[in-house]
Amino acid sequence: MSKPLMTTVLAASALALPALAQSRPVTLTTTLENYGGDGAYLAVYLTDAKGAYVGTLWVAGGKAKYYKNLADWSRLSAGDARRLDGVTGASVGQGRTLKVSADLADALIDAGYEIRIDAAVEDMRDSPGEIRVPLTRAGAGKPQAGKSYVQSFSYQIQ
Amino acid sequence: MSWRSIHRWLGLLAGAVALVLGLSGVMLALDPVRDAWNSTPAPADMAVSTLAARVSATIPGVEEIRRLPSGDIVVFSFDADQARAVRVDPADGHVLGEYRPSALSRWVKNLHRSFLLGDAGRIAAAGVALAMLVLSASGLVLLVRRMGGWRRLGARARGSLVQRLHVASGRAVVAVLLLTSLTALYMSAATFGLVSSDAEFDPDVVSVAGAAPDLPAGRLLLLQDLRSAELRKLNFPDRADPADTWSVTTSRGRGWIDRRSGQTLAWQPASATQRLHDWALLLHTGEGAWLWAVVLGATAACIPLFWATGLMLWWQARRRTPKIADNSAPAQSDVLIYVASENGSTWGFAQALHAAFVRNGHRVHTGGVEHFQVGAAARQVFVLAATYGDGQPPAHAVRAARRIAHQPGGTAQVTVLGFGDRQFPAFCAYAEALEHLLRAQGWPALLPLERIHQQSAQQFALWGRTLAEALGEPLALEYVPQVPPTTALTLVSRQDYPGAKGEPTAILRFAWPAQGWRDRLRGRGLARFEAGDLVGIVPPGTAVPRYYSLASASRDGFLEICVRRMEGGLCSTHLHALERGDTVQAFVRENPGFALERARRPVVLIGAGTGVAPLAGFIRGNARRTPMHLYYGARDPALDYYFGPEIEAWLREGRLARLETAFSRRPDGGGHVQDALRRDAPRLRGLVSKGAILRVCGSRPMAKGVAEALDAILGAVGLSVRQLKAAGRYAEDVF
Repeated sequence: MSKPLMTTVLAASALALPALAQSRPVTLTTTLENYGGDGAYLAVYLTDAKGAYVGTLWVAGGKAKYYKNLADWSRLSAGDARRLDGVTGASVGQGRTLKVSADLADALIDAGYEIRIDAAVEDMRDSPGEIRVPLTRAGAGKPQAGKSYVQSFSYQIQ
Repeated sequence: MSWRSIHRWLGLLAGAVALVLGLSGVMLALDPVRDAWNSTPAPADMAVSTLAARVSATIPGVEEIRRLPSGDIVVFSFDADQARAVRVDPADGHVLGEYRPSALSRWVKNLHRSFLLGDAGRIAAAGVALAMLVLSASGLVLLVRRMGGWRRLGARARGSLVQRLHVASGRAVVAVLLLTSLTALYMSAATFGLVSSDAEFDPDVVSVAGAAPDLPAGRLLLLQDLRSAELRKLNFPDRADPADTWSVTTSRGRGWIDRRSGQTLAWQPASATQRLHDWALLLHTGEGAWLWAVVLGATAACIPLFWATGLMLWWQARRRTPKIADNSAPAQSDVLIYVASENGSTWGFAQALHAAFVRNGHRVHTGGVEHFQVGAAARQVFVLAATYGDGQPPAHAVRAARRIAHQPGGTAQVTVLGFGDRQFPAFCAYAEALEHLLRAQGWPALLPLERIHQQSAQQFALWGRTLAEALGEPLALEYVPQVPPTTALTLVSRQDYPGAKGEPTAILRFAWPAQGWRDRLRGRGLARFEAGDLVGIVPPGTAVPRYYSLASASRDGFLEICVRRMEGGLCSTHLHALERGDTVQAFVRENPGFALERARRPVVLIGAGTGVAPLAGFIRGNARRTPMHLYYGARDPALDYYFGPEIEAWLREGRLARLETAFSRRPDGGGHVQDALRRDAPRLRGLVSKGAILRVCGSRPMAKGVAEALDAILGAVGLSVRQLKAAGRYAEDVF
């Protein structure tokens, strides 16, 4: 039933901790299920070992009034005034693929950091924590399914 | 731009797109109605904690409980790698079935709000909503004007079938349409973030770490306080995240609860803008209010009706408006011709004048007198004004005088040419009024006011020669008489009376030519009519119609008129010569001030001679048995008691409450109709105090006598005919 990958959204963001200049590009690939609804709002973000918010990698969906439906991200990132700077795009239709590439500091890899995705679709369930995967070299390239909307998610470290 | 042209052009342009919104709106309005039938709502006063406890007991891994606007409870859960969405019965928490929002509804919703075109479509839809707002507002202005004021807004809509459909449906739904377009604009603004609908950030709250186990939903104090009727959604804390909290959204606000202590960590009351947004959503969608959704659906269904009837009205008006060749823009024209015409005949003269000037190399503009405006380039201005009845302006020109009065006089010469009929004492009265007004405003005249009798081509040609001399340039007026579009009427029966003064009178009944709905929609054939409206008869060999008051309505299935043969009268002689099966050419014209509106108030009818005809029509049509009182003046029951047997039969049937006759040529006949009124003065005072409507029909001297008698009678209770006329309760049809 899976649709061909009609749309590939290419996006880029950079996330580096201060004083740690060394960074490498990481590509995150998210393919959605045919869940039978409108385009999904997705927030892709990073949390540290204690579950604290580190930064936003990508937000798919442009209407701010729906961001509260991305509940965890909305709450955790509330203090980040620049959470949307340069990292927003259109919502992602069902069956389609979102590809995000980010420059991540080496220090974030294999250090207990987690990539999280919150998802929401109009008139359907909100899915905070749709995806939660540790950011490790070993986990790279291993696809993982989400709870409700994400058919497969994987990341590649270059 | 006038309200009318705004309404017309916006309607034509935006209306076609609004069609999509209207049709999809009808489909969307069905959803709340269907949901109301199928829903299993929670009792309004059930505590949210009870609901949450029941649901937790039956469904493992609950993440969210959502209350749909229909009242249905939907539970989203995630258990054993399986995401589920189910509807539950709030009474015991048992699963009713899978929850699957309809894909069709979603598609229609997206069509409705964005034409399936994303943000560009949303902006277009908002544009259409704005157009609908302006259309509704301009439609309301036009409606108030048409009905003759706010207070008469509820009066019966008149005109052709298409006009009535457009007006009556508009009157019914204009308020809802205004509200719908306003709420649509508000929702668009909210979607694009132009107005904020809620607090920008959630409070940063976490459950306090500890060894204590989670409290069950039933023991959370905040949830015990909240009622299911106000619930929007309740999010359970994430099992994998010990710091996660409960969060609950209600119509009153949002709250967060510690998963272990059960403490309310934060409460964010719904802001004023949030409440406004909720109201806009409810008013626009009817979600959770199925009766309102029915109203919204009916309103949306009217949009295609408006568009289609509006399009037809525009097309019919276009077809009727005479085409003026080489019509220049008013600002650039040196010759301006303004026309006031009830049935279009005066436009023929304007066309001839226009063409003559164009042939001489002038730039000429011809338009309705309601557009009177003299530009800097104008040298000569002509006002061609027809007068009807008592000297009233034609319907389209009612506001012309005010427009002229607002313009100070200039240097261009303004000449008025009046059209009318010498039979009427108010011959060319409207043209005279305009002439007077123009001079008072300071406009110089090229020629004095000329009055054309019965659309006389000869008189017009003569005026043309005078005009050519005054202008010092040759002017060839080629006028071709125009006959209004007529229908052949067949005489089915006639009743003959000797008449009062040796002038025989006949009640003529013609068959009402039934029209197909196609002709009716196109406005072809004979228009529908009410008793008291007029039929214009065009006798052979002339282009000038004569008007008779109708003693029947189209629903009676026939047209009936009462015609006295006038000495040398072209039309009455022709009518009197008709035999059964013969035909005449005729058309129908409204008589809006005179025909009776549907009202439960008593009606006083006063008529004499053939003037009783429209009154007989009112009584004939009085199926609702409104109390009608007829004062009937004639000379002799043997000569001119028109409709006598019918009237007496209607009295027995109760269509007529009371009949007072006065036969002036009989010794004990009771004198004139005014005498009958005076004898009945106390009753008349009582009826008028109760709000009675009065209609008077007959000769001009008779109407004057009646008004004097009534003034004397009503003076005792502080009322006058003038007051009643101003209140729209007293109308005359005189000849």
